[in-house]
Amino acid sequence: MSIANLRPARFEAIRPTLSIAGLRASRPGMFFGGTVAIGALTIAILNLLLHIATSNAVYELSSIQKEKKELITTTQILGEQVDSLSSQQNLSNSAQKLGMISNSNPVFLRLADQKVFGKPKAALNTAGRVSRNLVPNAALIQQSTMLAPVAEVLTVAKEPTTAGNVAKTNTAAGQVISFGGAIPASPTH
Amino acid sequence: MTYLTPGDPPKRIKKFVAIIAVAALAFTIRLVDLQIVQAEAINEISYANRAVTRTLPAIRGEILDSQGEILARTVYRYDINAAPSKVGPVTRSVGGQDVLVPVEQIAQEIAVLLGTTAEDVLLKIAGTGEYAQIQKSVDADAYRKIRALNIPWLYYDPIPDRLYPNGAVAGNLLGFLGAEGQAQEGLELSFDKCLAGANGEETFEKGVDGIKIPSSTITTKPAVNGKNLHLTIDADLQYYAQQVLTDTVAYRKADWAMAVVIEVKTGKILAAAEAPSVDPNDPGAVSVDDRGSRIFRFAFEPGSTLKSVTAATAIDQGKATPETQVSAPYGWKVPGTGYLVTDSHMHPVEKLTLTGILRDSSNTGIMIVGKEVDYKTRYTYLKKFGLGQKTNVGYPGEEVGLLNSLENWDGIKKYVSMFGQGISVTPIQSAMMYQAIANDGKRLWPTLVEGCEDSSGNMVKPASREGVQAISPSTAASTMDMLEKVVEQGPIGKTAGIPGYRVAGKTGTAQIARAGGGYSGRYAVSFVGIAPVDDPQYVVAVTVYQPRTINNSLGATPPFKSIMQQVLRTYRVPPSTTKSANIATEW
Repeated sequence: MSIANLRPARFEAIRPTLSIAGLRASRPGMFFGGTVAIGALTIAILNLLLHIATSNAVYELSSIQKEKKELITTTQILGEQVDSLSSQQNLSNSAQKLGMISNSNPVFLRLADQKVFGKPKAALNTAGRVSRNLVPNAALIQQSTMLAPVAEVLTVAKEPTTAGNVAKTNTAAGQVISFGGAIPASPTH
Repeated sequence: MTYLTPGDPPKRIKKFVAIIAVAALAFTIRLVDLQIVQAEAINEISYANRAVTRTLPAIRGEILDSQGEILARTVYRYDINAAPSKVGPVTRSVGGQDVLVPVEQIAQEIAVLLGTTAEDVLLKIAGTGEYAQIQKSVDADAYRKIRALNIPWLYYDPIPDRLYPNGAVAGNLLGFLGAEGQAQEGLELSFDKCLAGANGEETFEKGVDGIKIPSSTITTKPAVNGKNLHLTIDADLQYYAQQVLTDTVAYRKADWAMAVVIEVKTGKILAAAEAPSVDPNDPGAVSVDDRGSRIFRFAFEPGSTLKSVTAATAIDQGKATPETQVSAPYGWKVPGTGYLVTDSHMHPVEKLTLTGILRDSSNTGIMIVGKEVDYKTRYTYLKKFGLGQKTNVGYPGEEVGLLNSLENWDGIKKYVSMFGQGISVTPIQSAMMYQAIANDGKRLWPTLVEGCEDSSGNMVKPASREGVQAISPSTAASTMDMLEKVVEQGPIGKTAGIPGYRVAGKTGTAQIARAGGGYSGRYAVSFVGIAPVDDPQYVVAVTVYQPRTINNSLGATPPFKSIMQQVLRTYRVPPSTTKSANIATEW
């Protein structure tokens, strides 16, 4: 065994390594911790904002749905009123109130030779037994008062300009258009 | 200074850490058990406690007429309910001041809107329960007004309800629903598969206070709304016909009356009117018998309207022509039976042609002509004209009529069947016999329904059925010519004439058979007509049952005329431009 081979192997192995522990190890840890904390805080804030936004949207949605429900109810109410006003029963009653009754003695015109068939007779309330409505309707919740149309008629009658227009229209629409043998719809409104 | 530290501190720390670790482990295991192992079950229990499942009612489809007018649709009604245990005065802000409104005043306000009395409302909301119904099926308008009162102890249940906007117009066809919304009658019943949808389901979560948590609603099963049913009926024409019939029933003091309008070239039923007729909004207002449609369900002996078929059969078989000459006595002994069949009025022997027989509606004359055709052959013609079989138009409970099997035709039936006795037909069968005559001899199947339309606008039409060639086109033309003479010259038929139009038709005054055999003293009076003869387009069949002020078809021709005139006006049919055939009626 030579002395030259003797080495303090153990000493070397256990020799403490000098390092600036506070400087090297704690700085990255703080940095990491800080990043995590800021990240978590950011996420929390974003989550909060998102939650507020979502909640607002939910309440807005709920409000819109409520409004939709209200509008559906309004549509139904108006729909039922329109149904009543446009029902045959109401129209029949209204026509009668305006003095229009069904003529049980219609007269037909043959366009081919302009011949009139049947003898025209005035419609009488007593003769036309079906002039008033006879068909029941329990859904008739609203009936025409006829006040508005009468008022409108009176207004139109007082306005010479409008009357002039009507006269012009009638003249222009005086032509009868043939529709392949069928009686054409009257151009008069 | 000496600290007394018992034991070994590092050991103690180790023990403490160990205990903490064991506790943490126990908690972790429990946490894993709750959060992972039992999570699903616990979630279910929790969800069940806060979740509420609600049915999403499917909206029943609409029924529309040929012009798209709605005859039936679904609306919402509202049940007004209260929680009696919570009933109390309500605070309202009046002029910036909070005012306590007593229960009595609230009851009065509710009563006014519901058309009842405050006492009634107070009676209903008395008690300590959680539920009391104040009124069922309130319309949307009243519901909204009541809700505007802001009464915290009131709550509302929307209930789908059926609305028939035109009331009794086509009510006999439409049918109605029961209290629970189930189809009970008419097309509502027979086309329930088309109209009814499939209810859906939704769940939502509620808080401890029972209030729904917003955004928690989940539709677990979407509702599928019903489809729309399109009819061939024209609601305006139907209304007109019902008006005429209601008046006729009242004027003639009849049991009921009905009218069918058929489009000749398609077999479409344009109107199927009856009086009295049910208003499906209030079916209880009429008797059970008046809640359906007799047009499809009531079979009766047609009487003389069947003579047209007998005459057409004889012509089609080459046994007669419109001018075949017959000596028609008042009474005629039925061969091999001993029965004497007479005409409706006393007369000497009349020299009539087959056309004249129809014009005068001679029973003896038609038997003399009809017997020339073997009864078995006549039977097959009756079948070809649609007797003894359902039209399968789609109306529930359709009657088949009575056309006994041939083996059961006794001696007298072989003869009286020629003028509409011993057999029975429904009004729709009767109308379709004349549709065949008007349609070059081809009988079509009547249709009442155009189709079933889904929300995308796809229309599923009923399967089309091939018509039956009952008689040849030339026979049909001859029969039309003969029937025109009934209206041109017939004593009663004349009253069915419409100036400007060529009209063909036949009267029928049928004795009403008694249940136990024989005939009563009452009649079913009918008139079935076709117009215009030069281009047959419409059949109108009218029957007035048991009129008490008249015993012949004069009870049926005025309503026929009114309705046919309306048909011609509605469909803008121009007046005829040709004249009737020159056929002798006497010799």
